[in-house]
Amino acid sequence: MTSRLPMFSIVFAAVYAVLYLLSVENNWALFTYHPAIDGFGLFVEKPKDGGPAMYWYGWIGTSAIGAAVIAAIASWIPAASINRLWSKLAWAVPLAAMCAFVYILRGYFTK
Amino acid sequence: MTIALLILHGLLAVALLGAITHQTISVWSPAQGKAESFVGRIRSVSAPSYVNAIIVLYLLTALLGGIIYPAYRLNVRIVLEQMQLFKQNGAFELKEHLVALGLGMLPAYWYFWRQPLVEENARNRAVITIILALIVWWGFLVGHVLNNIRGFE
Repeated sequence: MTSRLPMFSIVFAAVYAVLYLLSVENNWALFTYHPAIDGFGLFVEKPKDGGPAMYWYGWIGTSAIGAAVIAAIASWIPAASINRLWSKLAWAVPLAAMCAFVYILRGYFTK
Repeated sequence: MTIALLILHGLLAVALLGAITHQTISVWSPAQGKAESFVGRIRSVSAPSYVNAIIVLYLLTALLGGIIYPAYRLNVRIVLEQMQLFKQNGAFELKEHLVALGLGMLPAYWYFWRQPLVEENARNRAVITIILALIVWWGFLVGHVLNNIRGFE
């Protein structure tokens, strides 16, 4: 198990960031929360009863489960195949996703 | 109840901010020799000793933030939109995404800091730590400003 840890943690970080960005952009929410009525719904639901719909929790759920599955599969790859380039993906991909969100949200700061 | 949770969220964020700032400074600017000044002592802290505390504090702070988020969504964001405070609204949008991305980095952060420290991962440790520190600082400052937003009216 210990030898699978490096690959799992590195792949999880990279895949989670990509899935989170894709989830936000495509609204792949695993579930929807309706704060006005304190209710949940599976996958993406439209706002109910005049209140907003919150997808943030669902995006995290989609990303976490997807990344965990992919990282678990990848963790069967021999640990020796993790070189320096691979390990950098654990922070390079999330950093790229952060920059992408700054770009996506730039409209808020230029109005 | 929400106010109590908000205060607790803020207190946990302060502890997290202190821990990750100490760790980041000690990694990027380690003390040379015996530390006698205030700054020197900050630079000479044992960075690995902060790891578990940072992970737990990050998770708890994010969890509490997630619990009080609906109250923000219902009572604050709508007001921000009505007041056309686009920058403040956008700053919080960015905060929620950065915090979520930080959650996904925690396993790798834990792995890079796992004892015994692997010299080959020194750069990865330093970079992932400062990225998490930036996320925490952004989250703290944005949360603080939005919490006090009516004071700026």
